[in-house]
Amino acid sequence: MSFFDIFKKKKSKDVAKDRLMMMLAYERANTKIENLEEMKKELIGVVKKYLNVKDIVIKTDSNQDIETLEVEIILDK
Amino acid sequence: MDFGNYKKGETLGTVITITSGKGGVGKSTTTANIATALALRGKKVVAVDFDIGLRNLDMILGLENRIVYDVVDVMDGKCNLSQAIIKDKRTQNLHFLPASQTKDKDVLNKDKVEKLVNDLKEKFDYILIDSPAGIESGFEHSIYLADRALIVTTPEISSVRDADRVIGIIDAKSKKAQEGEEVQKHIIINRLKPELVEKGEMLNVEDVLHILALPLIGVVPDDEDIVKSTNLGEPIVLDEKSIVGEAFRRIAARIEGEDVEFLDLKSKKGFLDKLKGLFK
Repeated sequence: MSFFDIFKKKKSKDVAKDRLMMMLAYERANTKIENLEEMKKELIGVVKKYLNVKDIVIKTDSNQDIETLEVEIILDK
Repeated sequence: MDFGNYKKGETLGTVITITSGKGGVGKSTTTANIATALALRGKKVVAVDFDIGLRNLDMILGLENRIVYDVVDVMDGKCNLSQAIIKDKRTQNLHFLPASQTKDKDVLNKDKVEKLVNDLKEKFDYILIDSPAGIESGFEHSIYLADRALIVTTPEISSVRDADRVIGIIDAKSKKAQEGEEVQKHIIINRLKPELVEKGEMLNVEDVLHILALPLIGVVPDDEDIVKSTNLGEPIVLDEKSIVGEAFRRIAARIEGEDVEFLDLKSKKGFLDKLKGLFK
C-alpha cells in the first residue's frame, strides 16, 4: 500500500472481507442448531404448562470468545 | 498385481481427505500434487477419486489410459483391489484408484466405503481422497473415515464462504469425531495472486485464516505453468524448478510433521512498476 492510498476509498479486499464476515456470522448462527424448529416447539410445550405463550423467538449470536442463545418468550395477555 | 514393497510403517495408513465445498478451486490438482510429493518422499501413497460420475484425477495424473476397473467395481466385488489400483510408472510408490463413470452418484454406501478404506490403510502409508464438490452424499462418504482434512480455497468470497460451510459439517459427518476424537483440519489457499494482494484487491492469507479460523498448511500461487502440467498430465511437483511445485512439496513435508517455512510470495514486477504504483 502506498502513502497516497490513505486518502483513497476502501480497498476492494476489505469490502470483500466485511461482506464475508457478515454473511458467515449469519450462516454460522443458522447452521449451528440443526433442529431449531423442534427445539422451539418443545420449549413452547414446557412453558405452556405454566403460562400462556404466544410465540418464542430464538436468536443466536457469537463473537470471538462467546456464543449466546437468546430466547424471547412472548406471552399471551 | 503386486504393490512392490509393503508400506514402510507398521501402523495403519493415514486417511487425508481433500475437500472444498465449491467446485473448480483446484481440489483434484491439489490431490494429485500432494500424492505425488508424498510418494517422492518415499511413502506408499494411493490417490482415490471419490467424484463419482465426474472422473477427473485420472487425467491430471496422466493415467487415464490405464483404467480397467474403478472404485465402484471394487466395492461391488466385480474385481479385487489389486486389479483396480493403477501403479504409476513415473513416480515410484504412487498409486491411483479411479472414480466410476456411472451416472448414479449415490452408488456408494457407508459399509462398502469403510471396507475399502480399511483395506487401503493396511497397504498404504497415505490414502488421499479427492472429495466431490458440494456437501451431498459423495462428500459425506469421502469425509466419513478421514483422519485429516485439507480444505482448499481460493482467496475469493464464494470459495471462502463454501469452505466455511464445509468446515462446519466435517465433524458432524466424521466417524472419528463421533468417537470423540478430532479430525485434523488445515487450510490450503490456492491460486493466490501476489500482485492483487499487494494492491489490496485480493483477500490475503491473514484475511482468509482470520475468517476460517483454522491453521494453514500451504499457500499455492497462481501460475500459468499449472495449465501446461495439466495439459501434459504431469503433476507440477515433478518439475523441480516450479514455484507451484515447491509449494506442494512443502505441504507434503508439513503433512509429515516437518516445520517448513511458507513461501515468500511477491509479485514479479520490477522497480519501475513499483514507482508507478506509488503515484497511482
